[in-house]
Amino acid sequence: MNSTEAGLAVRRTDSQTRRARRMLPSLWKETAVGYLFIAPSLLLFAAFLFYPLLKSVYLSFYLTDPRGRVAEFVGLDNFTALFRSEAFWNSLLVTLKFTALTVPTGLLASLLLAALTYGKLRGMRAFRFVFSLPVALSVSTASVIWMMLYHPTTGTLNYFLTKLGLTPVQWLTDPAWALVSISIMTVWMNSGFQYIVLLSGLQGIADDIFDSARIDGSGPFRTFFQIIVPLVSPTVFFLSVVSVMNAFQSFGQMNILTKGGPAGSTEVFVYSIYKEAFVNYQFGTGSALSLVLFAMIMLLTLLQFRFERKVHYH
Amino acid sequence: MKAWKQAGLPVAMAGLMVALAACGSTNAANGGNNANKPANTEAADTAQAGGDESAAANEQANAAANPQKEPVKVVWWHSMSGELGKAVTQLVADFNASHPDIQVEEVYQGTYDDSLNKMKASLDSKSGPSLIQVYEIGSKFMVDSKAITPVQDFIDSENYDVSNLEENILGYYTFDNKLYSMPFNTSNPILYYNKDMFKAAGLDPEKPPATYEEVKNAAKALTKDGKTGASFAIYGWFMEQFFANQGAEYDNNGNGRTDTATESLVNADAGVKTLTWWKDLVDSKVALNLGRKTDDTKKAFLAGQIGMTLDSTASLRGIVDGAKGKFEVGTAFLPKPEGAGDGGVVVGGASLWIMNNKPADEQKAAWEFIKYLAQPDTQAKWHINTGYFPITKKAYDEQIVKDNMAAYPQFKTAVDQLHATKLSPATQGAVMGVFPEARQIVEGAIEEAFGGQKDPKAALDDAAKAITEKIATYNKTVQ
Repeated sequence: MNSTEAGLAVRRTDSQTRRARRMLPSLWKETAVGYLFIAPSLLLFAAFLFYPLLKSVYLSFYLTDPRGRVAEFVGLDNFTALFRSEAFWNSLLVTLKFTALTVPTGLLASLLLAALTYGKLRGMRAFRFVFSLPVALSVSTASVIWMMLYHPTTGTLNYFLTKLGLTPVQWLTDPAWALVSISIMTVWMNSGFQYIVLLSGLQGIADDIFDSARIDGSGPFRTFFQIIVPLVSPTVFFLSVVSVMNAFQSFGQMNILTKGGPAGSTEVFVYSIYKEAFVNYQFGTGSALSLVLFAMIMLLTLLQFRFERKVHYH
Repeated sequence: MKAWKQAGLPVAMAGLMVALAACGSTNAANGGNNANKPANTEAADTAQAGGDESAAANEQANAAANPQKEPVKVVWWHSMSGELGKAVTQLVADFNASHPDIQVEEVYQGTYDDSLNKMKASLDSKSGPSLIQVYEIGSKFMVDSKAITPVQDFIDSENYDVSNLEENILGYYTFDNKLYSMPFNTSNPILYYNKDMFKAAGLDPEKPPATYEEVKNAAKALTKDGKTGASFAIYGWFMEQFFANQGAEYDNNGNGRTDTATESLVNADAGVKTLTWWKDLVDSKVALNLGRKTDDTKKAFLAGQIGMTLDSTASLRGIVDGAKGKFEVGTAFLPKPEGAGDGGVVVGGASLWIMNNKPADEQKAAWEFIKYLAQPDTQAKWHINTGYFPITKKAYDEQIVKDNMAAYPQFKTAVDQLHATKLSPATQGAVMGVFPEARQIVEGAIEEAFGGQKDPKAALDDAAKAITEKIATYNKTVQ
């Protein structure tokens, strides 16, 4: 409401300069009131976002001593050392692999579950309840549950594998498996949120669209691919943006399940930031790493928004 | 829209309920913890009510005599949880009861890493502790931080007698001939083996393997019927110990003890020999690779799935009790390659540091508490309740220690191994500021060798290079 009034005021100043002079103080007042309203959130943003960001930029040009105090100006050395180090490229590769393993699979699985359960059939509520359950678990709880499932000798998964006469898998200690295992756990953990969002997206589609599709003789597959998928594409788009950001920022499950190991095969980006800043207490290189991550996520998000044109809003 | 409302609501409600239930349980757990604390202290109090009644009476008498004198408050940050935490609470309660002029407040600050990080953050404020327990590999940082008063200052000022303390333990915390901190909890790694499995495999259960070759042969014999010979956790600490056991140094400049270390020696012969042997055990399927956690190897050992494992002496009680009724546990010295030089084990565990940003009387009070903890009877209690070594030789004369040794004869191995250790820079242990990180790098290298990405020599070469770089950065920031 305020913004439309302000808009009107602006138009009036354009046309009637004389009266505009009298209007100006009230326009100024409007703006001030507007800023007053966003002041609390601006303040919080400044204290917890902008200030730390600027501080990171500052720290990224320095080395810090073991107490974390600024010790020596090194210019861009932190960044050049980063791009030259094998560990940096490894963690970038691991993060990309992790994103590729978790985002599409997670979205597909959740979409499938949502499409199967959005109808008004008997007992659907029970399924909806079960499928949305993972949203209630924190990363650490979920990690501990899967740590038990993945346990090399007393874990449930290996127990069933040996019952079936298969050789047990070293889920978290085999470099070939560790990232896959963490991805499985992450897909499961994120599925709750993705399922709820997709389900509500599906249920937001007007019933008469389905009715007319049915009258026109559209079968379930055709309905799914030609009606449901395009109509929930805004939701899928939103989820893909959020999930990619999430995947790039994952940390908890690696910290609890593998500590980045074995042999760096699950050392994602944020874990290496954590290691650099809070294990080695090198705030300088840690800040440089996190700025690189910031730039990458921003670029990725911009890239994704270019795809937004393909999304169908109705 | 209607459908969404009808179906969505229960889903949302269900989600909410689960969330609430989760909150409820955390609250309950918290409440339980809070309830536990006083109960513990109470239990501790009643347990010693007999012995300490007089002390309590003393305290009252003293308090009545000089009512205006406030006791000096000492805040002690430690990282002992669970059973160990209970033992700490009891030690502090005993001390406070017998020292009316000093009030020690013990605060559990999470793991060693957490506690150290919190301390770093508190250095420029008043919120820090007067006394802090720091793990052995944080020692170099503590010295470099210049935020502490070496305990040697107190030892010198009152000619405190340290001749009864274990030289091998003091050695670790002595830099430039100065004792910087007082050891508190000390442990070593030992080889645990399943005597019943040894018998079943036709091996002599009283003659455990002592060399790398013998470990391999024993592991070969033990591997059958779905059981595996051994499993050693990929733990950097073990690699450090294997070095010391061969009398080899881990860093240059006398293990960083004659001068600041500038180079990692982890790719030396001792390391390559160890990793080649270890990888061979895993490749020939007579040892399992269960990852980095000793918790996992311990579980497998207790489940009878592996015949041998390496673990800290601090786990001895848990392992012997856990195996009760299932099999008999044997303990042996850490193995070494055939014909290796004189060596021994490096002490692990933690020590106590006095912070220098507190008033002199508070530091003095902290020193009083340290002296109390180093007394033979305190050490004896601490030792039998936890499995850590007593830091004073006199503790072995205490009756409770003798009784404990009879109940857990396996502990003798640990004590013998400590006493058989020849003190040298190699067994004093390496000193470097980037130790926590170096450990992670070495663990990564072992994993790379196991995974076949690199051969043992190449993996250790790269690790040494990475650690040397980290040391250089660290040294640049410390002057």
